[in-house]
Formats: sequence, structure tokens, C-alpha cells
Amino acid sequence: MTQTKIAPNRLKRYRRMWRDIRADWILYLLLVPGMVYVVLFHYIPMLGVANAFRDYSAVTGPGAWRGLEIFEKLFSRVAFQRAFRNNIIISLFKLLCGFPVPIILSLMINEIRRPRVKKFIQTAIILPNFISWFIISGLLFAMFSVTSGAIPGLIRALNPNAVITNVLQDKDCIRTVVIGSYVWQASGMGTIVYLAAITGIDQQLYEAAMIDGAGKWQQMVHITLPTLLPTIIVLFIFRVGSVMNAGFDQIYALSNSLVVSKIDIIDTYVFKIGIEQAKFSEATAAGLFKSAIGLVLVLTTNYLAKKVDPDSGIM
Amino acid sequence: MKKRKKSGHIARTRGEQIGYAIIMLVLGLFAFSTIYPVWHVVMYSISDSKLSMSGGFFFWPRGFSLKSYKMVFQTSQIWIAYRNSILVTFVGTVMSVGLSAITAYPLSRKRLHGRNFLSMVVFFTMLFSGGMIPLYLQVARLGLLDTFWSMILPTCMSAYNMFILRNFMQGVPDSLEESARIDGANDFIILVRIILPLCTPSLAAIAMFYGVHYWNNYMNCLLYTNSTGLQVLPLYLRTVLNSAAANALSASSDLSSLGEAASVLTEETVKMTVVAVSVIPIILVYPYLQRFYTKGITVGAVKG
Repeated sequence: MTQTKIAPNRLKRYRRMWRDIRADWILYLLLVPGMVYVVLFHYIPMLGVANAFRDYSAVTGPGAWRGLEIFEKLFSRVAFQRAFRNNIIISLFKLLCGFPVPIILSLMINEIRRPRVKKFIQTAIILPNFISWFIISGLLFAMFSVTSGAIPGLIRALNPNAVITNVLQDKDCIRTVVIGSYVWQASGMGTIVYLAAITGIDQQLYEAAMIDGAGKWQQMVHITLPTLLPTIIVLFIFRVGSVMNAGFDQIYALSNSLVVSKIDIIDTYVFKIGIEQAKFSEATAAGLFKSAIGLVLVLTTNYLAKKVDPDSGIM
Repeated sequence: MKKRKKSGHIARTRGEQIGYAIIMLVLGLFAFSTIYPVWHVVMYSISDSKLSMSGGFFFWPRGFSLKSYKMVFQTSQIWIAYRNSILVTFVGTVMSVGLSAITAYPLSRKRLHGRNFLSMVVFFTMLFSGGMIPLYLQVARLGLLDTFWSMILPTCMSAYNMFILRNFMQGVPDSLEESARIDGANDFIILVRIILPLCTPSLAAIAMFYGVHYWNNYMNCLLYTNSTGLQVLPLYLRTVLNSAAANALSASSDLSSLGEAASVLTEETVKMTVVAVSVIPIILVYPYLQRFYTKGITVGAVKG
């Protein structure tokens, strides 16, 4: 390797490279399908964002260039503004409510003394992560349906005159349902990383603390939390990096005509105007807008993560 | 482990005892909230429709009836959806794991020219994407719209999973490879006979990631296919949960064989049955999945 750096002769380097490639051709051949996949389904679509700056029709293909006109038109649309606002509100609440819960749960699980109970709780709380959002919407229906649901049924049994709203079809409740079901679904999975980090803590620290008279609470505040802090910070930063993803799968599964105005996000908006109405240019522009914000956020947060912990960056 | 047990014997203050009770209560409630809905749905679906109409909690079935199952399994669409979901999951997982493995191996070898550049090329796909519409148009251009392959190929390799595997392969020492090479093995044989067997834990983990992804994913089906013959289970569930469809189902004429019995079947029971039928396979394989999944996440996290 050092030789190639010293040798100024480029031709020589290319020859050596060609010789290596020929000798190792199987290794390079193995790479072909993966690269073809990446180009076909990632890079060519990236070039497709050009359609955000020109007309595009399903029948005739690309038309005249429009500069930023399409973006201007898009930004002036009330439905897009609404989707953007909803996107930010839902993402932020998911971050604020969803981020601390796995940490708290891990700390709690760590306190369980019986290994079998611990295992049972862990197994139970990870379960929702394996269930698709349409099944979850079915489970929510089973719990909250006004006529036959579990909770309304219980309320009626306690108070026959109670007025029960259908939270799945109520504008004021739906965001809470979205955030709540997200926390319910994702938290169990989130505990895995924290619990792995907690397992790595030296038990002697706890023993020393106990000898000094520290109770359980003090042990948690002075040993467990400080040890977890770097993990927490790094995971938080990355979570912020992907904050624009408000969760198409979930929103699409929980949407209905009565509540869509409260939970329509950019992704579902893109789906609606792009796939259902075939307004390709505007939908591409909306998608690009989201991707661009996402890219800036990821790069910024990666930079910050590296500052906190040089080994932690994804790049 | 022994140390843990010892700490349990140390006398605790009253405050700590109360704290412990609160912790167990909170965790118990959380665990209940994840298990009960699934239990509820199954119990509701085997209850007698007349008795289950009023709702409430179902710790046991009220009455017993399998009419709704009979009815649901009589419709051909659920079999089609089941078949498609199983096929997509199986074929997709095999292809995705294979593609990830043959891509990860070269990228893990230091002697590969342009290794950093090529890794960057794959990595960048995690940072930026053209979005839904350009990908849709590309799938259309490739002539994949409304085909079985459109549900697999567009998401065939996840860069994240590929990198988990690559990092794992980087840990395999070169010396193992060298000795095989002296025995006349080529790179492909080395990959299949030496590298992959050594990577079984992470292969299992990413196979789980892919498998769960394909089973739960409905985006590809929703975006790229139209025909009911290609519908996957989550989307079938959507049509049933949409009450108009469930109504039609419970009133459909091919149920005449059930006679009067069908008329007491409520829409809710039908919905619960379809949810139960969708969730039961997951519950059955879940204990096995969870083990690998936990491993996979920690493998991914350790990589840094």
C-alpha cells in the first residue's frame, strides 16, 4: 500500500489494480448484484427528484422545466401546510413521549429480582413490535369500539349512563391514540439496548455503594444513570436525526375520513396526491422537501454525536 | 448471578419496598396491555355473537362458537392473502439475506479496491432517498407494477442489515481464508464454506429482521399492486376492518350453507376473527423470533 503512494506513476497503479481485480474476479463479481440493486432502486430514483422541478405526466412523461414554481405551488396548498404541521407535531410528541419511556422501563426491569418474572415482562413488552399496524388497528378497535369494545364495555358496566366517545374516530383524541399506540408498540424494543448497557455495569460499583449506605434509588441516580448517559445521548441524537419520519405505516392504518385532518403527515400526503391523484411533480416535490430536511438533520446530529462520543458517529 | 441474589436478601427500607411494589405494578400493567388485547381478540372470536355484543373484558369466551372461523375460512380471499404473505416473507427473506451476504463479504475484505468508496455508495442510501414517487416511477419503468416481484425487489436489501453483516465478517481473521485458498478454494467457496458458517448468529438476526419486515410490510403491496390476487394479509385485514366490507362478508351469499346461524354472527365477531387469524401465526413463532431479535439489536448496537 505504501508503495502505491510513493509511486507517482498512475498507469502503474491502474495496472496493479487491474491485475488484482483479475486475480480476485470472483470477489468483484459477488458485488455486482448488490450494486445493481442500489443503482436501480436507490440512485436512479434519486435522479427522479428532477421531476420536482418540471412537469411530469403519467402519459407523456417529463415536460417543461418549472424551476421552483412547483414548490411554490405546493407550499401554498392548505393540505400540504396541514400535513407539514401535523408531521412536526406528531414527530415531536413521539420523540418527547417515546424517548424517555424505554429508559424508565429498563431501569424498572433492572430492579426485578426474579429472573423468570424479568424474562416474562421483557418478552411481553417486546411483542407489539412484531405486529403489523393493521393488526394493531384491529386490536385498538377491539379495545375501544363503542359498541363492543373492552373499555367502553367496562365503563358501561360501571356506569350505564356514561357517554362514551369513539376515540378512534374523534378528532380531539386521535393524536393521543397515535402517540400512545406508538409508545406502546416501540418502547419494548427500545429497552433492549439500555438493558444490554446496564448488564455491562460492574457489579462491584453497586456493592461499594451499598457498603457506603446508598439505597436503591441512590444507586440508580449515581451509578446506573450516569453509566447509561452516553448511550442515552447518542440514541437521542440519532432519534432527532430521523424525526421527520412520522410513521406512514401507523398513520395510514389508523386514518379514517373523520380524523384524517389531524393526523395526515407528509408521507401520507405524498401517497394521496402522488399515487391516488397522479400529481407526480407536486408529490415528488413534497417527498424531496422531507428527504432534504431529513438529510440535514442526520448530518447535523451525526456531527453532534461525534462531538459527544468520537466512536459513536455513523460516519 | 450469585451477587444479585445476595443483594435481594439485604433488608430494605419501607420506601424501597413501596418503590418495588410500584415498579411491579407499572410493569405488570404494561405487560398486561400488550398481552391482553391479543387474548381478548381470540376469546371474542370464539364467543357466541349474541353474548359478546355488549363488549367488556373477555378473560374467557362467552358461550362457544366457531361459526365465524368457518365463515372466514370459506372466503377464498383470506387463503390468497395468507399464501401471498407467506410467499413474500419466505422468498423475500431468502433473497434479502443472500443479497446482503454476497454484498457484505467483498466489502469486508481489505484487499478490495475501492472498498471505502463502494461502502459509501451503499451507506448514502441510508441518508437520502428520492422518495416514494420517484421509486414508484422506477418500479413502473422496470415493468414490475402489479407483479409478485414488486413486493420484494424494491426493498430487497437494507443497508443497515448489510452493514451489520459486514462488520461481523470483518471480525473473521484473514488467516482462515488464506489456508482455504492454499487448498484451492475460490472466494465463493470461502464465503459459503467458511465465512457464512462463522456468521450464523448475525445471519439469523438479519434473517429475523427481514422476515418480520416482509411479514408486516404492506407498503410495497399498496403502492405497486392492484389485483386482489396479489393482496397481502395486512391489506386484507384493512378491507375487513372497514365495516362495509365486513358487513358484506357476513351477509354474503356463499354463507347460505350456514343458514340461520350466519344471521347471528355480528360484524364485530367477524372482524375479531380475522384479526385473530392474522395475529396467531406471529404469536406462535414469537418466542423463537424474540431470541434472535434481541441478539441482533445488541450486535447492531455494539458496532458503534
